[in-house]
Amino acid sequence: MSELTYAKIDQTVLDTLRPATGAYWFTVALLAAGILGGLACWIYQIFIGIGVGGQNNPVAWGTYLINFVFWVGIAHSGTLISAILHLFRAGWRNPIARAAETMTVFAVCTAGLFPFVHLGRAWMVFYMLPYPNQRTLWPNFQSPLMFDVVAISTYLIVSSLFWYTGLLPDLAIVRDRSTGLRKKIFTILSMGWTGRMEQWRHYVRGYLFFAALATPLVISVHSVVSWDFALGVVPGWHTTIFAPYFVAGAIHSGLAMVLTLMIPLRKIFGYEKIITLDVLENVAKTIIFTGLIVGFAYGTEFFIAWYSHNSVEIAIFKWRALGHYRVGFWIMVICNTIIPLFLFLKRIRRSIIWLFVISIFINIGMWFERFVIIISSVAHDFMPHAWGLYWPTVVEMGIMVGSFSLFFFLFILFVKHMPSVSMTENKEVLVQGESHGG
Amino acid sequence: MGAECQVMGLFTDEDRAASAITALKKTPWHLKQVHSPVPSHKLSDALNLKKSKVGYFTLVGGIIGFFLGFALAMFTAAKWNLIVGGKPVIALVPFVIVGFEFTILFAVLGNVIGLLTQGGLPDYKGLDVYDPRCSGDHFGVLAACPEAEKSQLITYFKEKGGITRVFEPSTSAGNP
Repeated sequence: MSELTYAKIDQTVLDTLRPATGAYWFTVALLAAGILGGLACWIYQIFIGIGVGGQNNPVAWGTYLINFVFWVGIAHSGTLISAILHLFRAGWRNPIARAAETMTVFAVCTAGLFPFVHLGRAWMVFYMLPYPNQRTLWPNFQSPLMFDVVAISTYLIVSSLFWYTGLLPDLAIVRDRSTGLRKKIFTILSMGWTGRMEQWRHYVRGYLFFAALATPLVISVHSVVSWDFALGVVPGWHTTIFAPYFVAGAIHSGLAMVLTLMIPLRKIFGYEKIITLDVLENVAKTIIFTGLIVGFAYGTEFFIAWYSHNSVEIAIFKWRALGHYRVGFWIMVICNTIIPLFLFLKRIRRSIIWLFVISIFINIGMWFERFVIIISSVAHDFMPHAWGLYWPTVVEMGIMVGSFSLFFFLFILFVKHMPSVSMTENKEVLVQGESHGG
Repeated sequence: MGAECQVMGLFTDEDRAASAITALKKTPWHLKQVHSPVPSHKLSDALNLKKSKVGYFTLVGGIIGFFLGFALAMFTAAKWNLIVGGKPVIALVPFVIVGFEFTILFAVLGNVIGLLTQGGLPDYKGLDVYDPRCSGDHFGVLAACPEAEKSQLITYFKEKGGITRVFEPSTSAGNP
């Protein structure tokens, strides 16, 4: 960052807001088509019934829940980077914090759609709100599903407010260098921010409290998601390791998604001097750490099943590794724990291509982790006569493609119309008085 | 006292801005406000800014959320009045989750309210005496003086190493 000045940081980021090329709008159109495809599948499901999906006895939770957990997981690294690393004063998080926070907000929005889809009759969602029905019955907060509603709603509100608060000084920078309609829009969005020391005094304090509150929240949210499973008396689910296992997995997948998004963004927008190779290397080092935790959790599950002498527990874990869904299981193990080990090699850790490829593998692996956990346990539980298999249908796949399209659609719209890298936070890490002189 | 004139000294160096603030306090001129592109300890020290009170809003929000979360869960459980698995109807352990999430949610909402009220946001009128360079790479020190002393204040800022911008009473935000 030593070659950078305040003005160069501003210019680099503001250049990304220039009118987009045809290729950009083509990508936007392609993603919009994906969203429409997913929407069409959802409408078809509403008209025909939830039976058009592959969920049936005994596997009542299919890709809708897999994708829900996957997207909630993706949302986690944004808060890790913006809040936890902020508390640790890790300066390397500044160049990627904005994009990671943005990823968090859009991933939670995408995740939040799946309970609606899975409900079938989506308009019945009000049964989950703290509001009495016509028989004056309220939702009972003794169910982990209700814990989930509270946790995810809180997470969406908190991460959105945290993200917007971080954006305020940057919105003012864009306002000050815009004209016409854009200036008017950014004047409203920046709420009249002028960088008065009086404003900074409260802002810095408030931002610190945001980070301090978001940190336990992020850990609680995926713990609560894990209890959707762990509180069910189902072999392979009913275990105390689930909360830390899910949190580590969520951060693992989120960091991989950060690399998947940051590497093309860095290249396309010419962010090489801001998002340096050192920053990406630090993300890779964190992935090694989370990958080892996830690998340890996989091993612990098998060890405890063996150690418990519980025949049903032993049977389900044997079946996961050798049964009908063994391909998914081995994709999970190889992509999440074996492949990240290559990042121990500095040559690979500092290779953009390798980082990108490994991040894609982890994304795939983490999706399959959720597939293996959610599907295999209920497909093969206590009673052999009740065993059954599940495979997603075209409708489910269409909705899944729609969700990925929605996430990337929102993300690329954001990065082209809003500052995708925090100018203010990157200025803060420059050596004062030496580099910013105009 | 005659018409008041506002002059902003713009500095590219944080130390010079801090020095200008410290020296300005010893003059008869009135230091109105200081703008910075980044949070600055040096400027805070020069201004003797006190600790923010945003934390009290956060604390109050958190306390309200904690009790509200527990109260909601207890109230709904009491409405059902069902004993499940031999556990009490008002089972506090699972309600800790609701209480915890509400604590965080309301603490954050309190934090936002504190940030807006204490920081005076939204504040669109503040843009009338603001220079857009202050969001880029300049530190702006705004001072007021009688119209007759305007040139002295301009000279003062120039001697301190800054450039100046004068805000006449009718001046609105715009290009420098």
